[in-house]
Order: sequence, then structure tokens, then C-alpha cells
Amino acid sequence: MICAAYLAKAGRNVLVLEKRHVLGGAAVSEEMYPGYTFSVASYVVSLFRPHIIRELELAKHGYEVIPMDCSFLPLPNGDSLARWADPQRSRREIARFSKKDSEVYPEFGKVMTHMGKLAKAVIDHPAPDITSINPKELANLFRLGKVFKGLGADLLHLNTKLMTMSALDFLDQWFESETLKAPMAVSGIIGTFQGVRSPGTAYVLLHHYMGQLDGAFRSWGFSKGGTGGISMACARAAERYGAEIRTETPVQRVLIQDGKATGVVLENGDELKASVVISNLDPNRTYLKMIGEENLEDDILKEIRRFKMRGSSGKVNLALDRVPEFSCRPGDGDHIRGDIAIAPSIDYLEKAYDQAKYGEFSTRPYINAVIPTLTDPSLAPPGKHILSCFVQYAPYHIKEGAANWPQFREAFGDTVVDTMAEYIPGLKDMILYRQVLTPWDMEQKMGLTEGNIFHGELSLEQLLFQRPITGYSKYKTSIRKLWMCGSGTHPGGGIMGASGELCAKTMLTSRAI
Amino acid sequence: MTAAVTLARKNKNVLLLEKRGVLGGLASGEEFYPGYRTTGVLHDTSGVRSAVIKTLKLENFGLKLGKSRPAISILSKDGKCLQLHGDVEMASNKIAKFSQKDALAYKEYRAFINKISGFINGLMNEIPPDMVNLGGRQLWELAKKGIALKRMGKATMMEFLKVAPMSVADFLNEKFEINFIKAGIAGPAIYGSYTGPWSSYTTLNLLLWECAANVCVQGGPQTLITTLQKAALDAGVVIKTDARVDKILLDELGCVSGVNLYNGEEFQAPIVASSITPRETFYELLKPNQINYTIEQGIKNFRSRGTTAKVNLAVNKEISLNGNNEVEFARTGNSFDDMERAFDHVKYRQFSAEPVLDIHIPTLNDKSLAPKGHNVVSILVHFAPHYFDEGWSDLTKDKLLNNVIHTLEQYSPGISSSIVGSEVLSPKDLEDKYNLTNGHIFHGEHAVDQLITRPIPSCARYSTPVNGLYLCGSGSHPGGGITCMPGYLGATMILK
Amino acid sequence: MPVKSPFFPRTSDHCHSMNWKEWAGYYAASSYNTLHDSEYFAFRYSAGLLDITPLFKYSIKGPDSADFLSRIMVKNINKLRVGRVSYCCWCTDSGKVIDDGTVMRRSEHEFFVTSADPSYSWFSRFIRGYNVKLEEVTDKIAGLALQGPTSREILKHVCDADLDDLKFFSTHKANADGFQLDVSRTGYTGDLGYELWVENKHALKLWDAVMSAGKNYDIKPAGLDALDVTRVEAGLILKDVDYYNALHALTDDRMSSPYEISLGWTVNLDRDSFNGQAALKEESEQGSKWAVVGLDISWPEIEFLYNKHGLPPEIGSHAWRKSIPIYTASDKNHQIGYATSGTWSPILKKNIALATVEKKYDKIGREVQIEMTVEHKRHTVSAIVCKPQFYNPKRKTSNPNSQRS
Repeated sequence: MICAAYLAKAGRNVLVLEKRHVLGGAAVSEEMYPGYTFSVASYVVSLFRPHIIRELELAKHGYEVIPMDCSFLPLPNGDSLARWADPQRSRREIARFSKKDSEVYPEFGKVMTHMGKLAKAVIDHPAPDITSINPKELANLFRLGKVFKGLGADLLHLNTKLMTMSALDFLDQWFESETLKAPMAVSGIIGTFQGVRSPGTAYVLLHHYMGQLDGAFRSWGFSKGGTGGISMACARAAERYGAEIRTETPVQRVLIQDGKATGVVLENGDELKASVVISNLDPNRTYLKMIGEENLEDDILKEIRRFKMRGSSGKVNLALDRVPEFSCRPGDGDHIRGDIAIAPSIDYLEKAYDQAKYGEFSTRPYINAVIPTLTDPSLAPPGKHILSCFVQYAPYHIKEGAANWPQFREAFGDTVVDTMAEYIPGLKDMILYRQVLTPWDMEQKMGLTEGNIFHGELSLEQLLFQRPITGYSKYKTSIRKLWMCGSGTHPGGGIMGASGELCAKTMLTSRAI
Repeated sequence: MTAAVTLARKNKNVLLLEKRGVLGGLASGEEFYPGYRTTGVLHDTSGVRSAVIKTLKLENFGLKLGKSRPAISILSKDGKCLQLHGDVEMASNKIAKFSQKDALAYKEYRAFINKISGFINGLMNEIPPDMVNLGGRQLWELAKKGIALKRMGKATMMEFLKVAPMSVADFLNEKFEINFIKAGIAGPAIYGSYTGPWSSYTTLNLLLWECAANVCVQGGPQTLITTLQKAALDAGVVIKTDARVDKILLDELGCVSGVNLYNGEEFQAPIVASSITPRETFYELLKPNQINYTIEQGIKNFRSRGTTAKVNLAVNKEISLNGNNEVEFARTGNSFDDMERAFDHVKYRQFSAEPVLDIHIPTLNDKSLAPKGHNVVSILVHFAPHYFDEGWSDLTKDKLLNNVIHTLEQYSPGISSSIVGSEVLSPKDLEDKYNLTNGHIFHGEHAVDQLITRPIPSCARYSTPVNGLYLCGSGSHPGGGITCMPGYLGATMILK
Repeated sequence: MPVKSPFFPRTSDHCHSMNWKEWAGYYAASSYNTLHDSEYFAFRYSAGLLDITPLFKYSIKGPDSADFLSRIMVKNINKLRVGRVSYCCWCTDSGKVIDDGTVMRRSEHEFFVTSADPSYSWFSRFIRGYNVKLEEVTDKIAGLALQGPTSREILKHVCDADLDDLKFFSTHKANADGFQLDVSRTGYTGDLGYELWVENKHALKLWDAVMSAGKNYDIKPAGLDALDVTRVEAGLILKDVDYYNALHALTDDRMSSPYEISLGWTVNLDRDSFNGQAALKEESEQGSKWAVVGLDISWPEIEFLYNKHGLPPEIGSHAWRKSIPIYTASDKNHQIGYATSGTWSPILKKNIALATVEKKYDKIGREVQIEMTVEHKRHTVSAIVCKPQFYNPKRKTSNPNSQRS
């Protein structure tokens, strides 16, 4: 949608084809139960690039994000930890578990800010191509080199650590309290098939730490009207610039003649001609389904097959009769208006991951829950609420085979509800409706291959100039006139808008259309 | 010892102080049970740098260096055995008995290793670039590395960048089909690490080992030690054993002025090179206010979680592993999931009932290590945590021993009844006996951020912020294992 | 939400203005009346009583306490005698100031340290190898500052300490009616004054005893607004206003060495290693980039500017903390520094400021220009560089019946 908006804004004739009846893909709001609007999959936003909001005037088109003030961690022993936007308040809460940690917390924040600056230098530009000797590329590399050099040896080394260590090991070097480390470490594994002790997860910590919301660094927020509100704002912006959007128009494949894309074929057989086609599907789907194996050279095919998808998460959305209260900190206070993590200890999180490695969903999973109705009552009838649960781990490749997921869907849903019920007494009696999305469902429903929410693992060998495949990291595909954007391209997953923007800008500067 | 010889050859006055009664640390062999000897706690000598051996002319002192890595038996739980020879053709032929596809894939694999070893070995066998003073000269050094990288050829370079961050399981699964073979090849990727085969970056660890594994020291690490000792004495090095250093002495300007020993002796010297672990060096040999906060924190954060135990067995008959009784070295593993499960336990401060075994039968090479007809089985056990919930005691060590023997039984039925004596060294024992921080056999993990910039940025080139103090052990570049390289490069830096 | 100090039942009773602010996570009164002036005058002409509980406080005990603190502080704490107090700062390895505070030696092996920022984590990083016990007592010990010319007499009616004898920057244990307290002759107003430390459970008793004793000496509860004016007059810098904590400073430019914030006098260089020693040695030899100075801002010029608009000078009685550019006398475009705190001083009848300027401009008596916005227009007025200690009465350091002050 972002790509369409930028292209339309530049005067091009753009048509957007959406398979489903709602726009947004995984960033979608749907009324799954009368009167209740669920953010079906993606549920919070933070990484949306602020300059895109400005350039497309998204606020005018309904982009409204309400910041989250708090991260809440209920504990099985009746205690809890809440971390707030107010640093003194956070310090006092953390100090109950470790005085040292409470003081180190702002120091850590400062260091992550430095690392964030570096990350921004990378994600706000097309991926650097280290193999090229093209002067523009070298200039790009030089620019990056200067940013690196400005850091100094210690921060440079820290950056290496951040890129290669596990989230937990990285945090261990700062903090001592497990109660603090557990919820912090999990942000390193969201959407990945890794554990908090897996090398390479500290980097993802930054991905989630880097949120920039209306200028307020690091904060996360809810989109008014559910996550679909963002997609709709983007759609309205695109339409305002002249793009046409058609829903319930599934594309079967791209029309290819003489190695060139000339349009698309819809599932109903219709052919639509176009001078350029852009795919927002994940790399696996774009290359294997839209292009088709017969149109791919062997080495491209090999690289695409190597591109790891490996969904690891599920979603359970509940419509509730009343406010869910936590026995360890009762009431509907500020503490539950942010995000809520079920992550009582490191061993708990690691066990959840270990189970998934061997093809099972976690008996006691990590859950990141939000109650969006507390800040946006428009999502449900008055006094009623929604509990949205992001769950790890639910591996796509269960040992019985992915196609058998539907048999386990309800058991998975039960596991999640059982886990939440340990913290929220009476939860089961409040549930009016339950939606369970397994990785299989995400694949079937939203076209996410293997249910991977980021369109492909965010591991180092699949990022930057290697995303989705080396040589095609600047939004082109191996078929002329066929381009790609979306989370499967640089800079990766999350609701950033960056890939669409960079794709459009690359196309425009290279006069592709 | 390598550092001592290197320095003495350049006419420096060198005094070598060893805490124990014998030289060699983890490379020294011992009589672990009356009548039975090992040739070293570590047994892999394939990474010894032949260039250093040649420069120091160690072959003149009796060292025999085999021209390729030794053959290794790769074992499966269902009785199979693959003899993976050092020579690629021979290895491939053996693999063909299990899978033609894998035989071909192995040749391609070793060819890929060949293509990248120029670059890798260049990186690992030189003093690391100076990342602290990133001035013009340093940037040029870095640029040269970049050029060397590009010289691999675009395709190879891209492939290397693609696979290095991958887990070794993903990497090998792409190439090979037979499970137990893959698992066996993957061994070095996880030995002495805090990772399992499904952890990212383990491919890099495997590639580093593969690029370096080119030789074999006849007689094991102990021979290397004996040779170095001869060479050292010949070059004029004064060697004192049972001479444990208590403190490094600094003068009023904060520069090294000598050392004093636990027994009261004191020696004056302007330069001290330490090959014990970085943490031992800074935390034990210096007073707290003699190192600044940056070093203190950096060393504290230098991860060295020991995950290896040693089990030595005295066996009263011939040994055969899955029917094979010729090959000195053997590895178990069986499948990536099995290896991963062995690793999982250590995260919960436990050890597995079925650990991964890295086996050496030195008596197949040197019969004098045991009575006639008897054998020594020397096993590095992965994984056993240093910090162990129950605590290491005779009871828990016995449990470990039983797990090992029970596991070994699968590959050598009846062996348990042939064991006449044994020794178990838990990571805690390794720590106490060899002053290894947390019992880590490599003095610190070979994680990506702890390679090259090793152990910390200010000490990455062997000198330290303490004037006159140098590091020259496994806690420095290029890392642990028996290579002679940190000592050689450390001495080179001192000479500079 | 902020928490209440043990004195809250009393301070809240007096705080008719409801002017509270947050200080280190506690409620602290900005002023008790709607205007702080009477509280300021209490500090200067009689006695003001201020709740200083929000200061971070640490107890260090053990045979290696002095060595431990000497490692951390820029001052050689080994030389601090029992019963004496030292004001100093502590630095990072690169010689940049983290925080400033006081170190009190209560006995051979017992120290009490106060700081503006939480310091438990920093101090505890250096414990290895020292036989000490470090404990944070911020939430266990309550504190009051009693400052002003009548403070000594008031205190005589509260406890049995020999106050005539208690020297400036000394500390002593004392007995009051039903409880013990620690009395230190320290303070933040640059005048005669004492800081009183008690266990939380005795806090209200202490308050009541002091207020009751002070009735005849015109004692007043005083808030942070009044304190701010007095501390600028005294030339005392404030963290986060006049300098940044190096551990939290986002860039190197924001960090300062002790020499750059007029704390060079607290540094003892030539001794056993301490944090930042090498860097501080280098700086003391090569010179610093910045210096903190005092500024005496030209009153006539201010009057003139306001007069042009037909207004009397509207300076306001509150101390301010803003960053205000400073230029050379001759060139209004050549910026040489910035003022960070300032106030109209009622007792000196001067407009004063604390400023950070490039070192080469720190000569006493030099004339500079400081920016001033009058009726929405930007101007500059002259100021003279002077020592930051604008106000330094003899009674701050003197003892009665003593030849020396």
C-alpha cells in the first residue's frame, strides 16, 4: 500500500490487487464476532517510519496511534513487575528485584540508543551491496563506514556483540535479575524460530527497541481501530493520490513473456496487462507461485529454497464479557493498558523453545498479550473487552506434519487460555468468543508461507544484501519488470512501511516506470 | 612455551614459570590410573600451525608432523561406522559405501573449504587489525582483508557470507543426506561451546576448524610439549616448575617490574607474558585497583562457560567401536536432534544421560601408554555444565561416568565390564587443576564476538593497558585448542 | 507516582501553596508559601529547614572502606580523618564526572556517602578485592538541612553535640530527646548550617524538636525554590543543570571533567590508582577545554533595556536553569560558552549566573556578553567573569571564640 501510494503520488497509474475482502494482510482488523474488532494478527506498532507518515500525510487519512505506557509482567508467585515510560517509577519497580539493575537500566537505554542510531542508518536506506564496486554503492558503504567509525572501538565491538550474541547473553552483561531479563529477552525472539539463548537474537532486541512513535523514541502503541487502521490509512492515502484498489481479486500468477513481466493472471482467468508488476507477497510465494519454477534459473531456485521461513508463532484472540484482572495486581489500572508478558523465568522461555525444536507447540508458551479496548473502547461494546494473545512457540513444522495443524488448533487454543487463566482468575467464564490462528491458518488465510510473520527469518544471512536473495536485494526480482517489496525485502519485518517506500523510490530513481 | 621459544631464539632472556610439576597444561599427558597414561587432556592436534613448527625448527627436536589431519571414525547408534580419512579421495570413497550423493557432496564440501582457507587462515594466523586506533594505516590493513575476501571469487565469497551465520545443522542438511555422517562432521562446531548444532553461527566454527585441520602430531599433544621443552632449553630458556606466580609487580608508574611467587621468590622483568586465562591474569595476578573499570567489565563479560568434562578409562582388552578397532579418533553424534538434546541439558544446569563423545584411543598409536593388550580410552564429554545445580561431587561425577560408560556401551558392547580404572574431570576439576576460568578448555568461548577481538578490544593485540603485560594464551587470537598460534603471535608482538 | 518521605506528615501540613515537585522519586516541596521569598530570607537571616531525605545515601563499613572509597573518589579518602566530611566527585575511566556528593567518616571503618543520582550499581562494581560492606540506606535514613545564621543556636536546644566546637565539614553523633542523630556541618546554601540524619522512625521527633527549638529563632520550613537561589549565590553546581552524569550523557561532548566544572580542587592526583587517574593526569598537564565561572550581569544595562519599553526590570525572584549563550565582549556572534543557572540575589543585590565558558576566557574580571530576551526581542548585556562563590560569609566556616575562621 505504501509502495502504491508513493508511486501514485509520483503520478503513476497504480492498481492494487488484494486477494481478501479486507486490506492489510497481517496488519488487519476484522469483526470476527459481532461488535468486536480484532487486530487479527499484528497487534502493536512502533517501527513505522516517521518520515513516511509525514510524506504521505497519513495522519490526515486516519493514522492514529495511541502510545503504550507500560510493560507488565505478572509472576506466578503473586508478585509482578511493571516498567513505565516514567523512569523514576520504573526504577522503583525494578529496584524491588534488583537495586543494581534499576540503576543500570537507563545506562542500557543510552547504549541501545547509540546502537539504534546505527540501525536507523541501515534501515532507512536500501541495503548496502558490499560486492559491488559501483561508485554509488561505494559512496553508500563509505557513508555507513563513517557512522561506524564515529562510534569508537568499544561501541563497535558492542555492535558486533549485539549482532551475534543471544538476547539473554547480551542482557546478562548488564543485568542480574531474571525477572527483568526474561521480559526484555523475549523481545529478541518474537517472530523468530530461536530461543532467548540462541546466538543472533540480541540483534532482534534492537529491532524492537528502536521504535519511534511520533518522535518519542522507543515507545510502542496501539492503532486506533485496530492494526487495520494503519492499513486503511495507507489505502486512503494511496487512493487520494489516484491509485485504484480492488479487493477479493486474487492473483494466480504473473504473466511472463520473454523473461519479462507483462501483467498478471487472476484466479478467475482474467488477464490484466501492466508495464510493471510489484509483488508484496513473501519471497517464497513471489518466486515459486507468482513467477513459477519453470521461469527460474537453477541458482535462483536454489537460493529461494534456502530462504528460511519457519513460522513459530500463533495468535489467540478472545472476546471477553468484562475486564480481565490479574490476581497479582488486581484492577483495570494503567498497568494493563500496555503490553503484558507471560515470561516468568528464563528456563520457562527456553523450555518453550526446546519443545518447538522437536516439533511440538509449547505446553506452557510465552505470551505477549494486550487489552486494546482499555485504550480504544471503540473496538468492543461498552464494558466488554478483547484480550489479544501473541503466542510462542507454535512451530509450523509440527512432528505430525503441518497439514495436521487443524487437528491441534483447539488444543493449542486451550493451552493458551489455560496459561492466561493461571494469572487471570475466572478468565474461562468471561470468554464470549475465541479465535485461534495457528501458523497453518496464517499461511492459508493470509498467504504467510509457513506462518512466518516476517516473511522470512530475520537471521543475519537473510538480511541486508542477502534479503531475499543475494543480488536481488534492491527490490528487483530475477524477472524483468517484476519488483518486490514487503517484509521479505530490506529492511525486514514489522510494520515499518520502509520496504514499500524504498522500493517505490528505487523504482522512480531508476526510471523503471 | 611457543612464546618462550620464539623470544629466546631472538636472544631474549626468558624465564618460564609453571605452576604445576609438569609443563603443558591441557596438552600434557598423565598417568591417570597406575599403569595407564593419556597424551593430553585435549587430543586434537590437527590445528597445530605447521608454519610455526617450521619457523621454530621444532622438527629438529623430534617432532613428527603428519601431512594431513588424522582419520576419524564417525559412529552411529545403530552400529554403523564411517572412517573419515584426512585425504579427500579416501574419505569420499568410504562415504560412497553409504551414499553416492554424499560422497560427491563431501568432495564439493572440501573443495569449498579449500577455496576459503586462504582468506580464513590469513585472518586467523596474523595479528588482528587494530580496531582501537582506526587511523589511515589500520583502515588500509582492513581494506587489504576486504580485498583478500574478494579474491575468493564472488561466488565463493557470497556463499561464505551466506553460510557462516547459519546453524551447522542447516548448513550440513543442505549438502548431505545421511544423518550420522552429518552429525559426525558437525562435531567440532560445538565442542567446547555453549551452542548446539541448531544454534546460529556454528557453521562459522566448523569452517574455522576445517580450514585449520591440516596436520597431525605423532604421539599427541604430549609430544609437542616435550619437543617445545627441548627447544626451549636449547635456546636458553630457564624453566621452573612448581613455581606458581602470586602477583605481577608494578612499579610506581604502573609498569610491569616483575613477579613474585607463592613460595616467596621474586623475579624482576620488564615484560611479563601470561598464557593463563585472561580472567586469571587480570583478577588474580593483579590487585583490583591496578586494572581500570573498562578492563574489569570487559573481562567479566568475556564468556567462558565450561561445558566439557574429561573421562579417562583404563580398559583391559582391545577396543572396537562399531566394529572398528584401528582408528585412533572417533566421534559420536548420530543426529542433530540427538546432539541438540545433549546440549539442551546444560542450559538447565544438568548433564545429559547421553552426551556427545569425542573419543581418543592413544594406545592404538603408542602401546607403551598401557600394559600389554590393554588400552586407554580418553574421552571429551559434551556437554557437562560448570555450574551444576546439584554441585560437582564424587557422587555426581560417578553419575557422569556411568552416563558415559552407558553411552559408550552402545558402540562397544561389553566395554563396561572391561574397565579396570577411570578418572573423571568435571569442569570444576578442570578449573581447579589447570586454573581454567569456569573450566573452559579454550579459555573463553569461540563466539563470533570473542574471536579476533579476543578477549577484549584493548587487549586484542596481545599487549594490554598495563604497560609490559602481554597475553599469549588461548584467551587471545586465534583462540583455543592446540595450535601454537597465540603464543607465536604474542611473542611477535612483544618483539615488535 | 512519587513516594512520601518520613517527614511528609509535617511538610504537607505546612505546604499551603501545594507547590510540590518530584525529587529522586519523592515528593519535595518547591515552596511552602506561594512565593518562596520568605523561605529564602529565612535561609539568609534566620534559619530554614529543608527535607533532604531524597538524597541517595550509602553506608560503607569494613576494614578496607577507606581504600575502597579512595579507588572510587577523585579525593584521597585515606587522608580523611574520623569526624570529617569531604565534598568531592567521582569519575569514569576517562576522567569524566559521574556525580558529586559528600563522604563522611564516622569512624575508622565507617563511612556515610550521599549522592544526587542512584549510585549503588556504580559503587558495587568496585567491591572485588575489598573487605567492605556496601549498603544503600536511602529509604532507611531521613535527613534535614537546617541552614542560616540562627541554626547553631537552634540546634543547641535539640541535641547535645558541642556545636560551638563543631568545625565546618565535620560530623558528630549526638543525642536528642529519645533518639540519636548524626550532625554534619555541611549544606548547600553556602552559609552556616547543619545536616541532620536520623533513622526513619525518629524523623518526626526530629522535625518537631527542631521546629519547636526554632520557634524563638524565626525558623521556617523552606523549599527547593529558596534553596536554588542560595546555592547559586554560593556558587554550587547542580547535576543535570550545570553538568551531566557521564554514565547517562548521550554524547562525549556532554561529559565534563572535574577541572571543567570547578571541582579541580577535589582531585588528589598523585597516589595509588583511582578511577580516571590517567586521564585526569593528562588533562591537568595539557589543560582543559572548559571552565565554570560566575557571572555578574550588568544591572544598569538590564534596567536600560526594560526602560526603553517603559517597564521596570522584570527579572523575577526565582532562580532559573536554562542554557543561555555567552559571547565575547567585542563580537556578538562569537559564542564562547553558555550560562546554566542564575538568579537575582536579594542579599547581594546582583543579577548573577553560573556559566560554562571556554577555558581561555575564564580570567576573573574579563568582560563578556550574555544573551537576554526583553519584551520578545533578543539583546545582549555585559557581564563580568568572577569566582562562582558570590556569597561566602565568615560565619559559614567560623566558630565562636575562635581566632581562625
